[in-house]
Amino acid sequence: MIFINSIILMGALGLVFGTFLAFAAKKFEVKEDPRLTKIMEALPGVNCGACGYPGCEAFAKAVLKGDAPHDGCLPGKRQGVPDKIKNILEE
Amino acid sequence: MKIFLIFMSAILVNNFVLQRFLGICPFLGVSKKIDTAVGMSLAVIFVMVLASVITWLLNGLLVLMGLSFLKTIVFILVIASLVQFVEIFLKKVSPGLYEALGIFLPLITTNCAILGLALLNIQNNYGLLETIFNSLGAGFGFGLALILFAGIREQLDFADIPKPFKGLAGTLITAGILSMAFVGFSGMIKL
Repeated sequence: MIFINSIILMGALGLVFGTFLAFAAKKFEVKEDPRLTKIMEALPGVNCGACGYPGCEAFAKAVLKGDAPHDGCLPGKRQGVPDKIKNILEE
Repeated sequence: MKIFLIFMSAILVNNFVLQRFLGICPFLGVSKKIDTAVGMSLAVIFVMVLASVITWLLNGLLVLMGLSFLKTIVFILVIASLVQFVEIFLKKVSPGLYEALGIFLPLITTNCAILGLALLNIQNNYGLLETIFNSLGAGFGFGLALILFAGIREQLDFADIPKPFKGLAGTLITAGILSMAFVGFSGMIKL
């Protein structure tokens, strides 16, 4: 009984907080450059930091600013990421 | 009267950073400049008060259901959600502060001062009003320690410090001395 109560409680709490956060994320949405989302989707998304930036989002922002080279993403080099970035930036 | 004593005790006598040694990570990490220290303190006060109230209420529910053993994980869930909300809010309202705080904003989740505060409220059997004032005091105490230390560090940047003491070494020693100074407050308030 305790077992089931615990599961129900944790599940309910997770649902409540998750919904609250989803609502907050929608309400306080920050309009970002659509190319940023496209570049982030092209990246592997591993957040390994091999590019020298704290996470994939930071690298994508640096690429948009022109600070980072297109082939800065090490795991992405094999997956054709530099070409994808070139296409996105040329659009 | 007791509420006022709890409030003052949390700020001075039992300062969360300098007496209880909780929340040292942001204390050392965000205290380089006074501006970021103030921003961080406000975020922490907000999270502390809200987290304490919500966890206090949820603890009532847990005790009712006989699930007190879930305290730790439920409290962490509450704190993590609140910090995520603060992140979302700050990113929209003050992107400058968001970038300045960097990784230390999500690290508030792992700040043991917040969980410690929530657990202490339960341990001391505080009512709701006492909980609120304890958290306000804890938050202000954290802010006080942080801003004081930021001021000291900003001044130390101009001082002529011998090479072995430069950087983190000197910072840690200074933190210890500041903590010793706060020991002067002990015994001032008997709760």
